[in-house]
Amino acid sequence: MNQMPIMTIQAAERLLNALEDFLEKAEADYAMIIDRGGMILSQQGELPDNADPDIVAALSAGSFAATRELALRVGESDCAALYQQGTNSHILISAVDDDVVLITIFGRQTTVGLVKFYSAKAIKRIGAVLQELRTTKHVGVLFTKEDISAAENLFAR
Amino acid sequence: MSIINYANKEIQFKIVYYGPALCGKTTNLAHIHNQVDDTNKGELVSLATAADRTLFFDFLPLNAVTIKGFKTKFQLYTVPGQVIYNATRQLVLRSVDGVVFVADSQWDKMEENVESFKNLQDNLARQGTNLDSVPYVLQYNKRDMPNVAPVHYLEYLLNNRTRRANSFVAVATNGQGVFTTLNAISRLLLQKFAREAEETVTKHQRPAPTPNTALSGIAANRR
Repeated sequence: MNQMPIMTIQAAERLLNALEDFLEKAEADYAMIIDRGGMILSQQGELPDNADPDIVAALSAGSFAATRELALRVGESDCAALYQQGTNSHILISAVDDDVVLITIFGRQTTVGLVKFYSAKAIKRIGAVLQELRTTKHVGVLFTKEDISAAENLFAR
Repeated sequence: MSIINYANKEIQFKIVYYGPALCGKTTNLAHIHNQVDDTNKGELVSLATAADRTLFFDFLPLNAVTIKGFKTKFQLYTVPGQVIYNATRQLVLRSVDGVVFVADSQWDKMEENVESFKNLQDNLARQGTNLDSVPYVLQYNKRDMPNVAPVHYLEYLLNNRTRRANSFVAVATNGQGVFTTLNAISRLLLQKFAREAEETVTKHQRPAPTPNTALSGIAANRR
């Protein structure tokens, strides 16, 4: 499993730039990069109907993982992309690598072909940033057991 | 796998509630969702059958306490407990940081509890990990039912590994033990995170750097 525990400010900026560039060229509405567990790594644009990005990420990760498994079970070696065609909004979920997925939401102003074309370029840029993150040693934020103990109520009720 | 984001100043963890069918996993999440402040939770999403049996997963994003300027976020998932959905359980377990194993305390559910616990271990092994690496706690739910096994018996069945896990009794339908369990697993994850960060610093033999504050004003979400 590829390890990528730390998103540095510089990497976050590079990912945002990659997504911004992709959205502009593909004329898509929203793009999100998530890991296979459903965690959001970066996002750019406007989600339709003010959808919750955490939920979009979790559902997308689950959908893609399930479809990928299905593809393997029917003899396909991999599933590179999953396309959901809607009435007003469409969703393209594309694999960046084994651990990361790019989600694109777009409307009638563009086409799935254009989105796929530019997503290929975006995926290369994103993949390069992530590979660098994985191979560079980073020191994480430090907090101690005392900091954790000092937090009496972890969840506000 | 927990993710630290210096741009958003967030640390995210994934917790999966695991256990046999109808043991109370979804009930745990429903209670948590009802109790947590609106500002600190997202929507509870349940992918279920018409009979309200979990089909794929339940999902609940929670914001927790801020520590040293970093927001801690926990994403809670449940797995479907029915035996036929094992492939789905494997998918939900991906990148898991911590597990809450919910056992049904009733006598006639013991075999299912044991099978489910073994299934958890098998599915973690498929991902190249195990319960020695993934923090977990045990919840003995349904303690209000008339035909429940004593806690020490559940401990004997499910908590007899070399390192024993923290365990909690619960009645998830009325909330008893639900937050005690959640707080316990969350603290375990934070402590593990703190320990690993400290080990990394020691390994590098230098103090933790201050993130580039000149860039800290960059919004991570330019929406």
